[in-house]
Amino acid sequence: MSEVQVERDAVQLRASHLSRDFTSRVPGRLFSAKRVTHAVEDVSLDLAAGRVVAVVGESGSGKSVLARMLARIVTPTSGGLELRGTPIPAKAKRDLAYASMVQLVLQDPFASINPVHRIRHSLERPLLIHGAERARVAELAKAVLARVSLDPSDRFLDRYPHELSGGQLQRVSIARALCVQPKVLLADEPISMLDVSVRLGILNLLKGLCDDEHLAVLYITHDIASARYLADETIVMYAGQVVEQSHGTALVDEPTHPYTQLLIASVPDPSDPTTIAPRSPSAGTFATASVGCRFAPRCPHATARCAAESPPAFEVGPSHLSRCWLHEGNRVATLVAPTTRRKGEPTTT
Amino acid sequence: MSATIPREHEPTALDDGVTASTGAARGVARREPVLEIDHFSVDYGVGENMVRAVSDVTLRLERSRVLGIAGESGSGKSTLVYAMTRLLRSPGLISGGEVTLHVTDEAGTVTPVNLVSATESELRKVRWSHVSIVLQSALSALNPVLRIGREFDEVLKTHRRHLTKAQRRARAVELLRMVGLNEDRLDRYPHELSGGQRQRVMIAVALALDPELVIMDEPTTALDVVTQREIISELGALRAQFGFAMIFITHDLSLLVELADEIAVMYAGSIVERAGARELYEAPRHPYTLGLLHSFPPLHGERRELTGIPGTPPDLADPPTGCSFAPRCAFAMDRCANDKPSLVEVGDTGRSVACWLFDDASGSRVPVALSRVPSRAATTKGET
Repeated sequence: MSEVQVERDAVQLRASHLSRDFTSRVPGRLFSAKRVTHAVEDVSLDLAAGRVVAVVGESGSGKSVLARMLARIVTPTSGGLELRGTPIPAKAKRDLAYASMVQLVLQDPFASINPVHRIRHSLERPLLIHGAERARVAELAKAVLARVSLDPSDRFLDRYPHELSGGQLQRVSIARALCVQPKVLLADEPISMLDVSVRLGILNLLKGLCDDEHLAVLYITHDIASARYLADETIVMYAGQVVEQSHGTALVDEPTHPYTQLLIASVPDPSDPTTIAPRSPSAGTFATASVGCRFAPRCPHATARCAAESPPAFEVGPSHLSRCWLHEGNRVATLVAPTTRRKGEPTTT
Repeated sequence: MSATIPREHEPTALDDGVTASTGAARGVARREPVLEIDHFSVDYGVGENMVRAVSDVTLRLERSRVLGIAGESGSGKSTLVYAMTRLLRSPGLISGGEVTLHVTDEAGTVTPVNLVSATESELRKVRWSHVSIVLQSALSALNPVLRIGREFDEVLKTHRRHLTKAQRRARAVELLRMVGLNEDRLDRYPHELSGGQRQRVMIAVALALDPELVIMDEPTTALDVVTQREIISELGALRAQFGFAMIFITHDLSLLVELADEIAVMYAGSIVERAGARELYEAPRHPYTLGLLHSFPPLHGERRELTGIPGTPPDLADPPTGCSFAPRCAFAMDRCANDKPSLVEVGDTGRSVACWLFDDASGSRVPVALSRVPSRAATTKGET
């Protein structure tokens, strides 16, 4: 296992045009029509060393399927992955080498760590599987707990999961992912199950890993404020599609897609007592169009065209793309991840 | 904003005798209490392994007002409302205190009912007709093998015996419309509804008998933020129409600041701060409240590093002596480790804090971060 740090901004994992469909039977009709759900449609992104890419979306937007495709737990229907410049064959099985580079942290630490074993077991097992020397394993497990600020690490190694709080256990879960020295960390809603007071601790830990150890981090969340706090690049997904994408916080500060606008207006914001309740026309239904813009049935600006034609991504600012006909005058851009910029460069005009 | 909602009861099509609404009487009597909780304590288990989940809670809720209870998991906020409505199961045990619900009957007379000492049959008369509850997980609260219509039917059948089947159905349709759902939902099963729709059904069922108090236990926690916003604004409209009082429990303090008139912050089974919603947000007095407010990344302004609250919530089976927040508190003094502060009123704003920093006798100086005066915006809320 190499301890050599990769250079900041070097693309570690590139996803191009990833799609995943799920087919299901129409209930009650055994041999006839299959129904196809486009869980993720044509998503491209770059995960670069020392950068956090945040994916924001509500439940059912396909963000978790995206993470699982990146971890190669779910096979994409189409599209490809490239790990540090090497294309990954689409149908090949996920191997140990890939797993040691790309690790996934899940939402619920109580469900993702085996409750009948001590923490020591959960940390040493991946080390052994990935070929660490047996004599060094205990020492490595201790070191990785120190990296996630669980001190004293000796005390935690011999505890059982139920003896730890949610926040501590999520740190163990991150430590387990870090055991194998990955270059990419995929965090699928890592804080949504945790107590409010410990959430920031986990976010700051991810930020620290990113800044100090140049880990490439994908942060998946439904909380757009936390994405703004952490992200170098933000992606908003709706019904499997990327609807808006921007560098830094441009998308949160000046949302251009009606869905992003609705999302931001819905967040409780005590600093602005005049917040008014936004209305989406079809309150209470999760209508999704199969043709045209997916958001059209809920969109206050929807026109006849939106129902018929799916909009391409328009460039609404530097590295800021929006998939909405409202921005039709702008240049059409392909939804390939913009090349990651260096810190200090202007992001908005 | 909840404070801007007019409290007058507007006669509607619902006043058809089915609801026997007393809303008009309620609208006027704003300062009367609907619920008084007095030195209330709840334990899990007895003897050696006893865990005190709620300790010495005193609260008062006025008619048509919204009380928000904020706290993390394990802070005792859910235990408090389950015990108070006598829904708590063994090994949960009420170990002290009184809970008085002021019940208004159809003629408009108010009778206090002691919920702690009430018998099962007395409770039966109060539950749902006067106090109802909406639980966090609507999927587990609704019976998965019954159609939605049955949920309404059972409530109305039990408490409004004189109604015919057709009348019950009509009332159910009316209730569904109130929460923005189509009547065809009545024939659906819970799994056929989205999370937001299920939660709307729960709210509609809770309002079926026009109660004067509705308890909401994290009703929107499992929902998307857009759906949460829709439900919150609907609750506002429903409250304006029917004037029920509400206890809203959540871990999301920023949501409460928008929604509640008054907020009680719970930590490790005790209330550590109680204040008007705006005052609490503008000028938190307890270090824990300050920490909580700084735990939400903002949507505007400069991005800067936030720290949250260091450490983890205490284990109630082995609570710290003295102030339970002291091990995580940036302002802790020697005294905090040994003496537990009690909730006392500070200043003249009617707010209370359980913290030694505000103990006049100790002569300690209040840190600047905790001594701000609420801004004008906070004090003029309600007029705007």
